[in-house]
Amino acid sequence: MSEPAPGGKPVAGSLPRFVVPLILFALAGGLWANPWHFVSPVPPPINVPAWATDITPVRKPKLSPEYKVAGYSYRCSDCHKLFPSSPEANDSPFQHRDVVLRHGINTRCFNCHHLTNRDAYVDDWGHEIPATTPQLLCGKCHGPVYRDWLSGAHGRTEGYWDKSRGPQMRRKCIECHDPHQPPFPPMPPAPPPNTLRMGRQDYPHKPAAIKNPLHVSRGESDAEASDAPALPGPVNGKP
Amino acid sequence: MPANESHPMAGALPPDDGRPPQLTRRGFLSKGAVALAGASAVAAALSPLRELKPGDIPSLEQFLQKHYKEMTADEKHAAIARIAREVAARYGVQPNVADPPPLSGVEFVYALNISRCIGCRKCVYACVAENNPSRAPEIQYIRVLKMEKGSINIETADHHYDPPVVPGPDSYYMPVQCHQCAKPPCVKVCPVEATWQEPDGITVIDYDWCIGCRYCAAACPYWARRFNFAEPQIPAEKLNPDMSYLSNRPRPKGVMEKCTFCLQRTRVGRMPACVEVCPTGSRKFGNVLDPESEVAYILKHKRAFVLKEDVGTLPRFFYYFDERGSRYHEPIAPIQPEPGGGA
Amino acid sequence: MRRYLHFLWACFRLSFVGDWRYHAWMTVLTVIALTGLYAYCQQLVHGLQTTGMTDQVSWGAYIANFTYLVGLAAAAAMLVIPVYVYRNLQLHDVVIFGELLAVSVIVMCLLFVNVDLGRPDRFMHLFWRFNFPLSMLTWDVIALNGYLLLNLHICGYLIYSAYCGRTPSKAFYIPFVFIAIVWAVSIHTVTAFLYVGLGGRPFWNSAIIAPRFLASAFAAGPSFIILTLQIVRRFTAHYVADDALLTLRRIVQVAMIMNIFLLGCELFVEFYTDTAHVASARYLYFGLHGRHALVPWIWTAVLFDLLALALLVLPASRGLPALNLACVLSIVGIWIEKGMGLIVPAFIPTPLGEIVEYQPTVNEILVCFGIWAFGLLLYTVFVRVSVPVLAGEITAPGARPAAGAH
Repeated sequence: MSEPAPGGKPVAGSLPRFVVPLILFALAGGLWANPWHFVSPVPPPINVPAWATDITPVRKPKLSPEYKVAGYSYRCSDCHKLFPSSPEANDSPFQHRDVVLRHGINTRCFNCHHLTNRDAYVDDWGHEIPATTPQLLCGKCHGPVYRDWLSGAHGRTEGYWDKSRGPQMRRKCIECHDPHQPPFPPMPPAPPPNTLRMGRQDYPHKPAAIKNPLHVSRGESDAEASDAPALPGPVNGKP
Repeated sequence: MPANESHPMAGALPPDDGRPPQLTRRGFLSKGAVALAGASAVAAALSPLRELKPGDIPSLEQFLQKHYKEMTADEKHAAIARIAREVAARYGVQPNVADPPPLSGVEFVYALNISRCIGCRKCVYACVAENNPSRAPEIQYIRVLKMEKGSINIETADHHYDPPVVPGPDSYYMPVQCHQCAKPPCVKVCPVEATWQEPDGITVIDYDWCIGCRYCAAACPYWARRFNFAEPQIPAEKLNPDMSYLSNRPRPKGVMEKCTFCLQRTRVGRMPACVEVCPTGSRKFGNVLDPESEVAYILKHKRAFVLKEDVGTLPRFFYYFDERGSRYHEPIAPIQPEPGGGA
Repeated sequence: MRRYLHFLWACFRLSFVGDWRYHAWMTVLTVIALTGLYAYCQQLVHGLQTTGMTDQVSWGAYIANFTYLVGLAAAAAMLVIPVYVYRNLQLHDVVIFGELLAVSVIVMCLLFVNVDLGRPDRFMHLFWRFNFPLSMLTWDVIALNGYLLLNLHICGYLIYSAYCGRTPSKAFYIPFVFIAIVWAVSIHTVTAFLYVGLGGRPFWNSAIIAPRFLASAFAAGPSFIILTLQIVRRFTAHYVADDALLTLRRIVQVAMIMNIFLLGCELFVEFYTDTAHVASARYLYFGLHGRHALVPWIWTAVLFDLLALALLVLPASRGLPALNLACVLSIVGIWIEKGMGLIVPAFIPTPLGEIVEYQPTVNEILVCFGIWAFGLLLYTVFVRVSVPVLAGEITAPGARPAAGAH
């Protein structure tokens, strides 16, 4: 038997002629209506606190011997010329109540401050160290750190790495460290990452079947370590 | 032709005797219906493309743009002018797009003091502010790992720590970003050479050449490469207008990006953004070929190591620690009250 | 040339001819393929965020399917070895179906790679800067396209010769057949080397991956062809001897034994040594830190593989029902273990230890189905056209069918 053309008169068991075009037109209509239209998986961007990109150091210390109180500005020696101090002092009963001395085993004010000239610090031989160069004072005990600071391995460096092209600023010790409580203060961290389709990130780490000797001395499991830091050392000479 | 008429192949095609096949009206209509239905189905399948914006389709200029290493100075100027135009049109900010060449006699090295890092993540956000990555979806080049003290097992690191304050007592922190390795696996695997290492040590990406296959992301042992899965969203007020072609100009959708040691800054002598913002001064950067530089001192005198040294990538990013820990939560010497001391 | 165009036109017309089952099958495939195209257009507009991939798991279902299909393509041409090397004439007639399968599967592979690209409009950059020989992707580009051209030539030449009523000249296809044997092994080895050569991914950085690829490919590929040949036997006039199916069964049997053995080797190395590098394998088989999305998948795959092996080893699988079941089990099992069970776990945990799980989105799955449907469509058309032409039923005007066509 012959037929006019392929797709013409159906042979035994062909589909009715309208079925395939109907299905394709239905598909066209369905797809045009955009059934799986895109829904963005991106979470809204997190709020980044302004301090997170601030480059100013944590402290704005004075590098000159000034004391401001009740709207007046004094030089340290203005008062401290008048009254003698005990060389063993580690606390101040009336003024400077905001100063809490917690400097490890350094529990005497006059380990650092000059006994008679309060505009200056004191070195190991009783000579004055000007207030503009506190690093000489810190360096008299903290030798290794001072040497690192001199070569740039310790402390902040800002500006230009290439000093021939621009200024480079090295921060002095007390611009980051409070001299009376030197450990760098804990601070809140900036927000954790929230990347695309990150999923839950709070699954606990199960303790391993074999106890890691690393943890034996701590006597605790990984997840239990508390995050609250303990402050070190004695306060104002009292342990 | 099989004689068996019920065989599926029966009546397949008429014997071809050279005469044009006869076409009936029924045949024409049914064939036409199928053809029309098919064409409309294809058009409907392509219909989501109607949401394409003009910026999504590359212009002829972009299409014909050569690889960065092959462009003449004029072509680079034209490309930079195009980028500046596009940024101004899109963000309303007139950028300053530069193309600083590598400085001679310079090999950049980065050193990070893990005795001092407190895990505050300011470096992460300073980098984001400087380098114009997408904010939604979020792309951050630096990932800070909270490590258990005593262990360098990265698998137990916590990326998502968020305690009230840092540092925590039993951890140390290791920020990781692109290490600009001397033997970079990402450069080895890129099929179109869209990423390569420059003479000053920085591995760069030509964002207009990358085809987005993400082989480099699979190859990097430090998870340093990021991909733009969507069109990057950057708020216009947060755009950093000081850009360069190879580093922080806004990237298109579908290409890779990563830390470039802020080459728009470092190639003119400035510090990278992460170094400047670090509050504890843990990050050190400089030219290792200069014996007076901080990083040369650190590599010579400090206890420096690299991550995953066994993978053989020879990173230019070193972690170092001081001789003694810095966070003296436990006093080194026992505290004795001084005899007769106290106020 | 005019005759060639006439041939193409005849093939085109012939591909629309068939009974209702043929039309139904082709319509279903067309619907799925067009839906896949629609989903891909969504991806073009919005970028790869329409998929489930992330910076952490940067390769997913597309590359998983690509890996599996390269194996299928390699194995499809391996039918050639028994015929031309060992002169196994029972398989002589069915080699063409293997080669045609190779062509359509390679097209699917190329499509999967292209839909995975972030910038498919920059595809031609491969021609301007080609990082050969360092980048294994460039080797893969050469290998896959070369393989496609080889098989197109072999099949096209044989079919066109039959159409013209000429006996095919051995010089024009036998050398290419032998090249195709070697090239088939190389395409899958090169694809394996894509993954193996990465030191940062210890799950992949193992020498056993390339042999395992080949073993699993030679189990899955001939299984596919066993099933296809039965369809050819049922729906066309082409005669397929039972011996052909049994020879293929033997190939699948041996390959599956090798595959299971190599799986055992991998499991031993990972879990007996138990270093930190075992994290990805631990995630895959047992779950890691509370995440276990892939665990049911991989154990299903292992179960299917073992069941298929058991069936194949038993004489019961000389009978078609058991053989078909074994083939389906091996195809599905190997698809899981080579696709999701190889690509995704290497990214979990990330090189920095983060765990982000991967789940393909609806859009991604639609694109995958669309490409599979398109490949099957191509293959159906090829078989539909080649059977009558090779049997001498369709010839050029004025040509007489050559005696002993193919």
